[in-house]
Amino acid sequence: MFLVQRIALLVAGLVLLGVTLELIRRRRLREEYAVLWICTGVMILAFVLVPRMLFAVSDWLHLNHAVLMTFLCVLFLAAILLHYSVVISKQSDHEKDLAQELALLKDEIAKLRAALKESRRTPLEPKPKPPALRT
Amino acid sequence: MPNGAEGKSAEQKANPAECRALTIVPAYNEAESIERVVRDLRRRAPWVDILVVNDGSRDATGPRAREAGAMVMDLPVNLGIGGAVQTGYRYAHAQDYDMAFQFDGDGQHRASQLADLARPLLAGEADLVVGSRFLQPRGMTASGVRWAGIKILSRVISVLIGQKITDPTSGFRAAGRRAIRLFAHEYPQDYPEPESLVLVHKQGLALREVPATIRRRRQGASSIQPLHGIHYMSKVLLAVVMDLLKSPVRFG
Repeated sequence: MFLVQRIALLVAGLVLLGVTLELIRRRRLREEYAVLWICTGVMILAFVLVPRMLFAVSDWLHLNHAVLMTFLCVLFLAAILLHYSVVISKQSDHEKDLAQELALLKDEIAKLRAALKESRRTPLEPKPKPPALRT
Repeated sequence: MPNGAEGKSAEQKANPAECRALTIVPAYNEAESIERVVRDLRRRAPWVDILVVNDGSRDATGPRAREAGAMVMDLPVNLGIGGAVQTGYRYAHAQDYDMAFQFDGDGQHRASQLADLARPLLAGEADLVVGSRFLQPRGMTASGVRWAGIKILSRVISVLIGQKITDPTSGFRAAGRRAIRLFAHEYPQDYPEPESLVLVHKQGLALREVPATIRRRRQGASSIQPLHGIHYMSKVLLAVVMDLLKSPVRFG
């Protein structure tokens, strides 16, 4: 690997880690996602600092190491997108459940209110007389 | 609760009047027709409670339905027909109803036919009864492409569940206690009518079709507007096949 490449990747890895940590500090990233991105950053740094790891894998798979990198990136992105599809599905399911529960609760509150009003009125006071009609 | 005990209680009450029944009317922007639908139900099927699930309508569907004398639940957002219908099933399950009907808010279904749908449930012959437009020639109103789409869909679903189905997209249905409990927990959201047939079959519940006729729609647009033959059909088929792959629903 050329020095320029290594420096570029090093910077990329460090920026990724830095941004992730900053997002955690500002509470804008949930831990489960933070772990994912920290691991990604660490992986990038590991490949930069110990390139032999990368070469060993590319030799084993009989792939040019640039091709291997691209391949790994695509796989990684596909996995993340799949994960997000799962998260979105779960979220929309929760949203549906919440909307339904809300509708049921609103109905129950309305019924309880009506019952309360009724029970307050009947025993205490006699029915209000209709206003006298002038003829 | 054991299944046997649940099925029995509906059978014992042979007379519809002794049975607690809820009619779920999903409605999205049906202000023009909802009043007539509710009044029709109150007049022709006075033995059912009416629950209009207002699916985030932007018109006066909710107030109109209340004025007409229905119980109304307002969903805070538009969930689509599946989410709206399931809200009704959740209510039916929570309130321990013996049976629940699905009845469209656009006025295409006939309140006088609710009793026909209830009969197989009361006889203990089915858990879900679907009113089919195609079991007799007189009610048929679908256009050519739409008709072909429904035909092919019927064939495929019939093969998949090993039982002849003629009208998988019909939204005119009656559910017994076991189906109410199932749908309260799990109800398909994408193409609920055909998909729920597969779900019911997978859960080992008994399915039955009875003849039903529909009126021509006067107001509003069908919720299955993109019935553009092949496109709609292939998406439904994909959904149905995926339903077959899903693991069965367990109740906690």
